[in-house]
Amino acid sequence: MAEIKIENVTKRFGDFTAVDNANLTIEDKEFMVLVGPSGCGKTTLLRSIAGLGMADEGRIMIGGRDVTYLPPRERQISMVFQSYAIFPHMKVYDNIAFGLKMTKVDKKEINRRVNEAAELLHIEELLDRYPNNMSGGQRQRVAVARAIAMQAEVLLMDEPLSNLDALLRLEMRAELKKLLADINATTIYVTHDQIEALSMGDRIAVMKDGLVQQVDQPTTIYDRPANSFVGGFIGNPPMNFMTGQVQKDNGQILVKVGDSLLTPASFIQEQVGKYEGDSITVGIRAENMETLVDPTTDAIPVTVDVVEPLGSQNLLTVRIGDDRVKVSTHPDLAVRAGQKVWLRFPAEKIRWIERQSGKVLYS
Amino acid sequence: MKKRNWTPYWLILPTLIYLALFFAYPMVRGLILSVWDDEASLRLQSTASITSDAAGDLPQGTQIRLLDRQGNLLSDEVADAANLLTEQWFLATGVDVEGNNIEGWVSENRLRIREEAEDGTPIMGTIRRKLGSTADPLTDIHESASSVSPVIAKVEARTELFVQEVATLEVWFQIEGENETGETLTGWVPSRFIQVYGDEESGRIDRANQGAFTLEFFEKMVNDRFFWPAVRTTLLLMLFIIPAQFVLATVMALVIQARLRFNSIFLYIFSIPLGVSDLAVGILFFSIFTQNGLLNSVLQGLGLITQAQPYLTADTRHWILIAIWLAELWRATSIVMVIVVSGLQAISDEVLEAAELFGASFWQRLWHVILPLLKPSLQVALILRTILAVQVFAVVIALSGGDIVTVLANETFRQYFEFRNGNVASAYAVFILALSMLSAVFYLRAVRTQQELS
Repeated sequence: MAEIKIENVTKRFGDFTAVDNANLTIEDKEFMVLVGPSGCGKTTLLRSIAGLGMADEGRIMIGGRDVTYLPPRERQISMVFQSYAIFPHMKVYDNIAFGLKMTKVDKKEINRRVNEAAELLHIEELLDRYPNNMSGGQRQRVAVARAIAMQAEVLLMDEPLSNLDALLRLEMRAELKKLLADINATTIYVTHDQIEALSMGDRIAVMKDGLVQQVDQPTTIYDRPANSFVGGFIGNPPMNFMTGQVQKDNGQILVKVGDSLLTPASFIQEQVGKYEGDSITVGIRAENMETLVDPTTDAIPVTVDVVEPLGSQNLLTVRIGDDRVKVSTHPDLAVRAGQKVWLRFPAEKIRWIERQSGKVLYS
Repeated sequence: MKKRNWTPYWLILPTLIYLALFFAYPMVRGLILSVWDDEASLRLQSTASITSDAAGDLPQGTQIRLLDRQGNLLSDEVADAANLLTEQWFLATGVDVEGNNIEGWVSENRLRIREEAEDGTPIMGTIRRKLGSTADPLTDIHESASSVSPVIAKVEARTELFVQEVATLEVWFQIEGENETGETLTGWVPSRFIQVYGDEESGRIDRANQGAFTLEFFEKMVNDRFFWPAVRTTLLLMLFIIPAQFVLATVMALVIQARLRFNSIFLYIFSIPLGVSDLAVGILFFSIFTQNGLLNSVLQGLGLITQAQPYLTADTRHWILIAIWLAELWRATSIVMVIVVSGLQAISDEVLEAAELFGASFWQRLWHVILPLLKPSLQVALILRTILAVQVFAVVIALSGGDIVTVLANETFRQYFEFRNGNVASAYAVFILALSMLSAVFYLRAVRTQQELS
């Protein structure tokens, strides 16, 4: 059992608070992804768990054991570093065997585990080579093999794919996901790439400015972001945000966006109604709007500024009020820049966001 | 045609000039000095002229017989050479035996000067009488200032001649001597190479003009009574200084790398010796170890000894060696440390963290990760330090005066300045160079890095 509990962990560097009172529980054998922009504290949090930087406050428990002030080697963890941190003076075999040798594992057992790890990562033929003239992808595989050969119950990964080129990253992503599912360790995976986070994690923790913003399953994070930051950070293109004015008409709450009126879904009417006479932020994902080329009464008329054909979809940039909005359309829909189109907003897909806090309103 | 980019060549030009002037030339000169005897033998000429055919070479020091002599015009370059014998010839006017007015050259052997001007310039002289009955009583007057030039007139003894002009001639000797193979050679040589004995009939070849390859200077060096003590001491110092230095330097570098609180102060303290000259360090340690020095004062102050102990004396050579060892350790460890620190900083933090995370204790990290990755830096430092250790000099001079304890560099100095023997000094220098190169090659092969092996 290796459940990881992070309780009120704070880490400061001088005046800068890198991690601010973080609370996070990672279930046994769960794949947790920490995602956020650079400087959000995700790597610092990971290093605190690894013991490479002690937490200033709070408690870190691994499998019920308080490890907050233990040195890394006593935490029974394993890690893949961003720059791989391969030992340049050792052959690949010795690199993978390093941790096992240091902890005085039996020679035969070392041999078995190294070969097993090498086989899993398809680097059997590299075992006899030095890492200095290997490609980034090969080093990456060595680093992962070294980490899994330890057979630790906790595996930490610090942006393991960020130094690979785009194509290789895509390939490794799927391979890693399968591999990590097979070895069945509690994994914390740090990345700044939201696609990686969405595609790999059992759960995602989104961080910003040292604060954990939301922890949930990928689909929930994508569909029901806790705040405008999460909505804007997760997804490509990011969630669209527009300014709306809340007004009441015949007991019905309406939101004026640009020159048009949107009607909040019935289950959220009451929540939005609290902001009557005030402005509110309207959020919606690009693929959730329906684009119509003919005038329709329940759709907002807009003019297309830019059309970006992306193959699987066409991305339109339109203007609503003062806000630019990205709309994803089917590639067969013939739309030119300058053309007028009508956008239909499905009520249940619209997210209503409090302007000051950025919090998304849910019923 | 592809246009050639000349810029890099212009940029390396100063380097090439620098190398030629300050490196290649002294090196080559030094090497030549150590194995080339400039004055191995003297060339004999077939006639009394430097341009005549060679009649063979006689080695320096050969005993010779003088057969004949002759004057030749003296060139300015050799005018102040030692052993130079000269004779003066006079252009004189007078009346010959047949009553004709003549003008011609006569040697100072034949003309006795009777009148001189105030500045010593000869004005008038008389022909000397020839002794012995068999000789021609008349004196030859020559066309030019040489005994082999045509005779233009003859004059009687006591004839008065008026000196018009004076010429100084260098005496050449016709000599006869045996070479190494026992062959007897005869030929003409200038007087400046010859030491003439009192009998004026024999002498020896004192200097020479023909160079030859020789190992004589190396033989002299090896047979020098200071050579083996110098070699022993130099190697002994190397053996004790270098390992201690590397352990110390690595510890110092690790202390700095640990990023303790007063990190930069450590670095400054550790680097102080970098700025102190080796002679100053020698004098500093002399002041510690001398009889009224710091060490005795402290020991007396602590009550450990009652009387000041002498350390730097001929009876306490081991103390001198210890003092040299300490001084060198203090002086030259920081340069090793600087190299090791830069090597440590080149090791990526993540690699060290990985080692820590994968279960390596501090000693395991040091042994399995840090030291192997430091190998290239250690190699550089080792080569540098060994070369400097072979050259150790000023500290030894300051602490021992260079007699009680001597090292190779000191012997080089002694040969050059005390014995004025540039050749043997060069031989010592070449020996030091060979030791340095050997050790460098040894380190390059022995301390190979993994990258080189793969």
